[in-house]
Amino acid sequence: MKTLTKIALILVPAITLSVTVAAHDPSMHAKKAEKADCSKMDHSKMDMKDPVAVAMMKKCMKQGKASMNKMDHSKMKGMDHSKMKEKKMKKDDHKNH
Amino acid sequence: MKILKLLLILIILGVGGVAAVMYSGVVDVAADEPHSDFVYWLLEETRETSIKKAAHSIEVPDLSDPELLLTGGVDYEYMCSSCHLKPGQNESDMSLGLYPAPPNLAVADDSHKGHEHGDEMQSTRKNFWVIKHGIKASGMPAWGKTHSDERIWAMVAFLKRLPTLTPEQYQVLTAVD
Ligand code: HEC
Ligand SMILES: [Cu+2]
Repeated sequence: MKTLTKIALILVPAITLSVTVAAHDPSMHAKKAEKADCSKMDHSKMDMKDPVAVAMMKKCMKQGKASMNKMDHSKMKGMDHSKMKEKKMKKDDHKNH
Repeated sequence: MKILKLLLILIILGVGGVAAVMYSGVVDVAADEPHSDFVYWLLEETRETSIKKAAHSIEVPDLSDPELLLTGGVDYEYMCSSCHLKPGQNESDMSLGLYPAPPNLAVADDSHKGHEHGDEMQSTRKNFWVIKHGIKASGMPAWGKTHSDERIWAMVAFLKRLPTLTPEQYQVLTAVD
């Protein structure tokens, strides 16, 4: 047998098997209802003209995560504070203590 | 008379041939046994042409409202990501096991080869049509039976941005609130 054939004979099943095993990781079957993780958001990089950024802000405000308080709004581009619901933010803040 | 006889023989041969293929069991329907190149091409052309024709007159609404990314995102995570994957994930039981395989919708169009996608508008219409009506004899369900056009358009809007999302952005957009 050629060396190349031998290598192929070992590698092909090995790769196929490892791929199948990875796909069956039990954690992938468990659907957990996660809350949005707003702490990783880098607000200084967010452009408020981008619908994705606006949608993420909306989601995090609805969740009333404490991270809202730590946000540095001055670094955001094009953020319109008049459109934000002041009342809702205050109410949501109370969930955190 | 001679022509009529010839025609009759041809018809009998044709029907007989189809019956032989059907009842001999030579057609392998196993999902882990791919089609021959020819059969694959035949099915692919038929599907693409059918969808193009059916979708060409669909009117596309304004999809720029950020709110659409939230409704569409949550729906995508719960109804589609098991088959069509998400940022940071490139395989699942469904994506490996289904044949035809569900395309990875978290990567940009031109990075999966095999068929051409037409212009932006056409692919928007196509996505709406496919989500609403599904695709016969594949794993793709018709979501229009249980979801309004508005919710389907929201998913279409989300799909437009999906290939650009980082895993972190995806997590925030698709989490339940
Ligand atoms: C059970 C698995 C499964 C689920 C769940 C599923 N799909 Fe699919 N989908 C498929 C398969 C398989 C195909 C490819 C069919 C084919 O090639 O004939 C497909 C095709 C598509 C296509 C066409 C892609 C292209 O470029 O050709 C779109 C768009 C799509 N699905 C969107 C969705 C959306 C949105 C959802 C959730 C609402 C969803 N699918 C849920 C299996 C699934
Ligand atoms: Cu495609």
